[in-house]
Amino acid sequence: MVVQRNPLYGAISLIGVFISLSCLYVTLAAPFIAAVQVIVYAGAIMVLVVFVIMLLNVEDEERQPLRLRALVPIAIGLAAILFAEAAFIIFFVHTSSGTPTTNISDVGLTSSIGAGLFTTYLLPFEITSILLLMAVVGAMTLARRGGLLPRNAVVVPGFQILAKEVLDPRSTPDLTPVVARSTAEVEQSSGLAGSRHADDE
Amino acid sequence: MAPQLSWYLALSAVLFTIGVVGVLIKRNVISMFMCIELMLNAVNLTFVAFSSFFRDVTGQLFVFIVMTVAAAEAAVGLGIIIAIFRSRESLDVDEASTLKF
Repeated sequence: MVVQRNPLYGAISLIGVFISLSCLYVTLAAPFIAAVQVIVYAGAIMVLVVFVIMLLNVEDEERQPLRLRALVPIAIGLAAILFAEAAFIIFFVHTSSGTPTTNISDVGLTSSIGAGLFTTYLLPFEITSILLLMAVVGAMTLARRGGLLPRNAVVVPGFQILAKEVLDPRSTPDLTPVVARSTAEVEQSSGLAGSRHADDE
Repeated sequence: MAPQLSWYLALSAVLFTIGVVGVLIKRNVISMFMCIELMLNAVNLTFVAFSSFFRDVTGQLFVFIVMTVAAAEAAVGLGIIIAIFRSRESLDVDEASTLKF
């Protein structure tokens, strides 16, 4: 996934990783989490990512020269130290491993997760709903194109005010706002009266 | 041979490292986004492994909440990506180094 140049191939391999993780969750006796993993991650989030990749017409990355080349020996040394530490832990530290689950328990079933969510962890659950609401509002605000009003429109409560160039593109230099209290007055002042009815017929 | 707890932790560490390396070396913002998702999944695997080996359902509840946060992050992050692409016509993070529009 990291070595792919095309983000779409990376996304598809990431879906494979998610499905493999879901299989691991099944072997860990967590069927609810496995189902949610497939539905939410592989279903919802990755569909969103693939949709954005398709929408934005992403091209392949071109190979660029490596920056900070002087730091490469230092990075190799640090990586060697890290691997040495990992090998030390693996080979010399005696692990007191937990016992794997062999007998049947209800941990991980949907009923136990639901009971936990709605009793002990009710407050985080509700905060999660607030978070999702904020995410929905934020995503809509970010993805909306432009604003509701043009730049030169003046907002006065109780009035319906539109810039002249919005109503009539031929009068672009004339930026005096048009004041109207109803749609009919806007049609009168912009010369659009009667055209809508003509379109209807 | 039954799977040990440390095997799952090692796999989680490997996945998390791949995610960190991806965030560090990728220049495409969507690829960085997917690497962040990979890191979240590595942490989820740790939670589920501990929850299963210690017979405690709290870890799986936390995984549920992490998934919700990931969904919210996906929505907002992809909105930001679309906004950046509209203003700059590029997804390279080096070109979007300023926060000004």
